[in-house]
Formats: sequence, C-alpha cells, structure tokens
Amino acid sequence: MRLRTKIAALCAVVLATSLSACAPGSPQSEAAQSAPASVDFNSFKGQTLTYVYFTDGPDEQATKDMIAKFEAATGAKVNLQIVPFANLATSLQARLSAGNAPEVARVTDWHPYADKEVDFKQYFGSSYPSEFASGAAATAMDSAGHMLAVPSDVTINGPMINVDAFKKAGVPVPAKWTWDELVADAKKVAAANNMPYAFAIDKSGNRLSTVLSQFGTVMIGPDGKNALDKDKAAKALTFFTDLVKSNVSPKDFWLGSGSKYTGANEIFLAGQVPVYLSGPWQVGAFAKSATFNWAAVPNPCQERCGGFPGGKFMIAFKDSKNPALAAAFVQWMNRSENQREVDKTAYWLPTRKDLTDSGVEYANRQSDMSSFLSQINATPSDTWTDANSPAFTASATALINETDKVVAGQQDVRTAVENISTAIDKAIKAAGS
Amino acid sequence: MSVLAPARARGVRGWMRGKNLAPYLFVLPNMLIFAVFTIWPAFNGFNLSFYDSSNGRTYRPVGTGNYTNILSDSQFWGVVQHTVLFTLGFVVLSTVLGTALALMLNSQRRGRGALSAAYFLPVLISPVVVGIIWKAALDRTTGLVNQVLSAIGLGSPGWLVDSSLSLISVILVGTWIHLGFYAMILISGLQSIDTSLYEAARMDGAGVWQSVRLITLPLLRPTLMVVIILATIAGFQAFDFVYTLTGGGPVGATTLIIQYIYENAFSYPIQYGLASAAAVILFVVVFAVTFVNYAIGRRSESI
Repeated sequence: MRLRTKIAALCAVVLATSLSACAPGSPQSEAAQSAPASVDFNSFKGQTLTYVYFTDGPDEQATKDMIAKFEAATGAKVNLQIVPFANLATSLQARLSAGNAPEVARVTDWHPYADKEVDFKQYFGSSYPSEFASGAAATAMDSAGHMLAVPSDVTINGPMINVDAFKKAGVPVPAKWTWDELVADAKKVAAANNMPYAFAIDKSGNRLSTVLSQFGTVMIGPDGKNALDKDKAAKALTFFTDLVKSNVSPKDFWLGSGSKYTGANEIFLAGQVPVYLSGPWQVGAFAKSATFNWAAVPNPCQERCGGFPGGKFMIAFKDSKNPALAAAFVQWMNRSENQREVDKTAYWLPTRKDLTDSGVEYANRQSDMSSFLSQINATPSDTWTDANSPAFTASATALINETDKVVAGQQDVRTAVENISTAIDKAIKAAGS
Repeated sequence: MSVLAPARARGVRGWMRGKNLAPYLFVLPNMLIFAVFTIWPAFNGFNLSFYDSSNGRTYRPVGTGNYTNILSDSQFWGVVQHTVLFTLGFVVLSTVLGTALALMLNSQRRGRGALSAAYFLPVLISPVVVGIIWKAALDRTTGLVNQVLSAIGLGSPGWLVDSSLSLISVILVGTWIHLGFYAMILISGLQSIDTSLYEAARMDGAGVWQSVRLITLPLLRPTLMVVIILATIAGFQAFDFVYTLTGGGPVGATTLIIQYIYENAFSYPIQYGLASAAAVILFVVVFAVTFVNYAIGRRSESI
C-alpha cells in the first residue's frame, strides 16, 4: 500500500515536471499598443529597469560604467542581468511567455520578439532612425517602418591570424587573398609551428554564411524569398566540409558541440591554429588574453569578397513594467557621446551616422578595428538583407545541422543543400505566420 | 485512515472545530504551491499541445495536428530510439552497480560513512557542471581519460565525437552522477533486512553468494523496484548534463527526447504546441513504463 502511494505520487510528479517544464505559456491575444509621445528623462528618479545582457568580454565593464552614468544622470536604477549568449533566446522566451518581460535586452536577432517590442519612433519621433547609419538603421526596422530595435554595434565576420606564427613560417601577412591562398598559407604556417589545425571558424550559421556569400550565394533574398543558389552552395559546402573532414579545420570541434553555438576562440588563443574566422567582438578579449602577436586581416575572396554582417541590438519590451523608462534608457545609451565611449573600450564598431562619419579612436588595436571596418564596404549588399531576414536564424540553424551530417559522412553535399533549401522555405513560411 | 475516520464520524462541523484541522493546514501550503506551479502548468501544457504556435506569437487550434506531425517526424523516432537505449543502459547499470555498491558499503565496517559520502558526492554537483567536467575529461586529444589510455597503448577513442561511442559515454556519465543516490536507497533497503536471517542461514551452512541470492535479493526486491522506477523516470528525463556534454551531438547521436522538446520550444521557428505535444507523449510513455514496472513488481511479490 505504501509503495503504491509512493508510485502514485511519483507519477504525479512525472506528469507535472514533464509537462510543466515544457509548457512555455498559454495562448494570449496581442496586447493593445499604447505609448507616450515623448519621454521626460527627469521623471524616472527612483524607478527601476531590468536589462538582460550577454557579454563578449570587455563590453561588460564599459556597459556597467555607462549604466552608472545613466543612474547618476536620471536617478533611475538599472538591474543588469548577464546571461550566457547560448541561453539568451531561451531565457527571454521563457520570461516573455511567463509574462515577466524585462524592460531592455541585448540581442543579435530582434525579429522573434517583434510583436512585443517598443517602436522607438513612437517615443523619439519619425526622424530617430536617421541618427543611425542607413545600413544599420535598416536592420532595425520592420517592413511597416517601425523601429523595433536600436543597433548598438555592427559586426562583420573576418579572419584573425597569429602574426608570430606567420613570421616564424616566413609567410607574409596577407593584404588580400583567395580561399585557396588562405588554406595554402594556413597549412604552411601550421606545419612550421607544429599546430594541429590550419583554420578554425566558430560553429555558427552566421559565420558559415560568410563562406556561402564568398562563393556567391545567400539564403534569403531582398524580396524575402529563398535565394539559395544550389550550385554555388554545393561548391561552398564541398570546399568547407573537405577542410573539416580532413582535419585542416578541427573536426572534433564541429562534431563535439552538437546543435549548440560554439566559439573557436579558445583554439586560436591556445596557439593551435594560425587563422581563425570570427568577428570584431573578439578584438577586446584577444587584446587582453592573447599571449602572441595577432592581427585582423581581410576576408578571403572567391566569387565575391567581404564578410557577413551581424550586429547587436538593444530592444525594449512594451509589456514590461516600465516601457517608457526602457525606451529612454536605450536612447540614452546610444546617444553620440555615450555610444562613442562604450565603442572605445568595448571595441564595438559604431552604428550612429555621426560616429561612422567621424570614426572612433580605440584605446589600442586601431588597425584591427579599421581592418574589420574596411570589410563593411567590401561585403555584398544582399548579405545585409539575408542577415536581417526574420527567417535567417532558423535557416542558419539548418545550415549548421545539415553541414554536420556531411562532416560526419552521413549524407553528401547535394542532399545537404536540398535539405537546407527546404528548411529555408519552411523558415520563411513560419516567419510570415 | 485512522486520522480521517473520527473526522467523518463527527461530520464537517466537528472537523471544523479544529481538533483534526492541523494536519491539513500543514499540508495546505504545499498543496497550493503544487497546484499552482505544477498541476496548473501541466494541464496548461496539455491544452497548448492542441495549438499551432508558430514563432510563439500566434495561436491557432489544430486539434491533434501536432501529435500527427510528431509521430510522422523521422527525427522524433530517432530521438525516441536514443532515449530508449539511454534509459535501458542507464537503468541496468544503475541497478546492477548500485546493488553491488550497496552490498559493498553495507558490509564495510570501517570508513563506510566516508565512502558513502564519496559515492554520493556526484549527486550534489550540478549536472551542468558534471557535463562540463566530463566534456573536458573525455576530450579526444586533451582529455585525461585518453591521456591515460594512450599512455598504456589503448589509443585515443573519440568518446564524444564518434557516433558509435557517444551514447555509451553519455550512459556512463549519467550512471556516475546517479549511482550514489540509488546505492543509498538500496543500503536503506539492506539495513531493513533482519540480520537473524543471515545468522540462521550461516548456521545452516549457506555461503555468501547463497545468502545474497536467497535472502538479500528477494527481500530487497521492493527497494529494487523503487530504484528501477526512479531510474526509468530519470532516464527518460535526462537532459542537462547531456546538453553540456555533447549538445546532442555528434549529428544528433545523443539527442534525447527532452532536448527535442526543448529545441522545438525555444529554437527558431518556435513551436510551443509541438513541444507540448511531445511532452504529453513523453508523459504517457513514462506513465506506461512505470505502471508496467509496478505491475511486474507486484506480480513477482505475490509469487
């Protein structure tokens, strides 16, 4: 009898935990939108906002310093909650589903929260987007012209090299190169320095999209439709997966991280690879941690040159307890003098028009930041619309998963490309629903 | 029953007078918390399983559409296969090794407390941390395990990156985490066995193995059933340490059903309804397996 009672209790617990753990929320209607026409910054004294944040390293202290200035200037209190990037989307979705939206969040993709975000034009006027560089502003607007995010920094993928290792191998630091030249140089440098690998890239759909773009294709076109050129994608994936399968790029790194985003920065910092493709957010961390000379260099070219864009955005949630304070905070953090200050110490590329015009003087590593900046002009325009599509994140996940299967020898490249194309169609359909 | 009987006899008024109210008042906060944070979300999740919630924004009733979609999804069946294999391996290893460990610790006279604490320690560590530690230890090139193996000439297996080994690695790590917990339950079962039975058997000339086979295991059966049921539930719900250990890789070889639910719920395109339907299916499976285990246990007790 006792055992039966225990088992009944256990079953109840199983029912509860298995369902509750996976019950993100209940059906709810879209909240009516209401917003003030202007913001009185003097009215926030004593009020509090929560800022959900992920950090790439040096930006953390820069952001904390700027928050302290905001608190001193307004009398408001900012509760900074730092979460790992890998958990950011889950954490935000869970909070939104539970009706516990933070006031502000830092994200790389604002589209999943589009219907819950403040339109900054409602607070700061229809000319507010024009304060930002046109490309950056465009990435923060929806098709109806709402400004649902503020671009806090723009990123562009590009390679970094171990300069000491290049010198030791007698290979000149490249001013420009093709993919074939990159691989040949990297192999030579790796061999001369007893490095196990020649090339590393983050396990990320955004980073892998750099390779797709350089081979001449993107996943989603400016019209929002599937733009994958299957022949070009097959060439890109054949080239890339051959590098991984032959361990020129670390195979265990790719297969061992499953479906999660994983950075290869530790492999580069450990001196195991001479060439690493990532983005400018690594500059600050490497400036602090690298024990060797390194430099950012131009992207390789194939059919096209340039990197692949991305960016970080600040978004404010209209269902949070204090959306007016949230909007005010985002606007304040991205004022010219404040964004410049954070950019300098966090090694961010600016998004404001006045700052991109005047440039930002970084504490050091100026040439590396300039190298990344120079890649923006070389990057094809269709990559910006690809990266900014609401369907990009899901498509990028499919790109990674299907590439994994090729690397593991479970399917050929042609099948992978067909599956990626199908997944892009599905993602576009889902994003439009 | 004895507590309730007089309350019934006196009726509600007598019950309300307060003499027997105290136990219910003590239980009430827990029951309320259980109802609000467990029962209600569970039924809410069940309700959600009948909606299409693409992107987590729009909710459209789809009847049993999510269930038919899941059951026709080849990825789901692959995940089910991994989960069943993981659970089988985990339950067998946990039960066999747990029993062996419990017998060893129970017969230990000196240092039993310290040894028990050592075996129990992994239970106290966060599964996420365990995943990270073992990920480092099982790394093909830099991991401690392979450094030892290659030092004795056994090569460097890809514990976490070779599809044929990764599920075994996950089973072993899962067992390592939970073994101490199950051993403690089994030790309490062993200690409830009357020692005079062993003395009588010894006087009749029974050896150690005969005592274990004819006294210990039969009398330990109810406790073993509890361990098997708990391990089965834990096996079907394994996620946290697996996610940090392998991320479900390589190429989905260690993706278990909770990760399938998690990724459908929180990766893009977000599909809360589909994830909830998978959670309901998981509940039905766990309930059925638990019930069958229990029925088998009851039948063998009555034989």
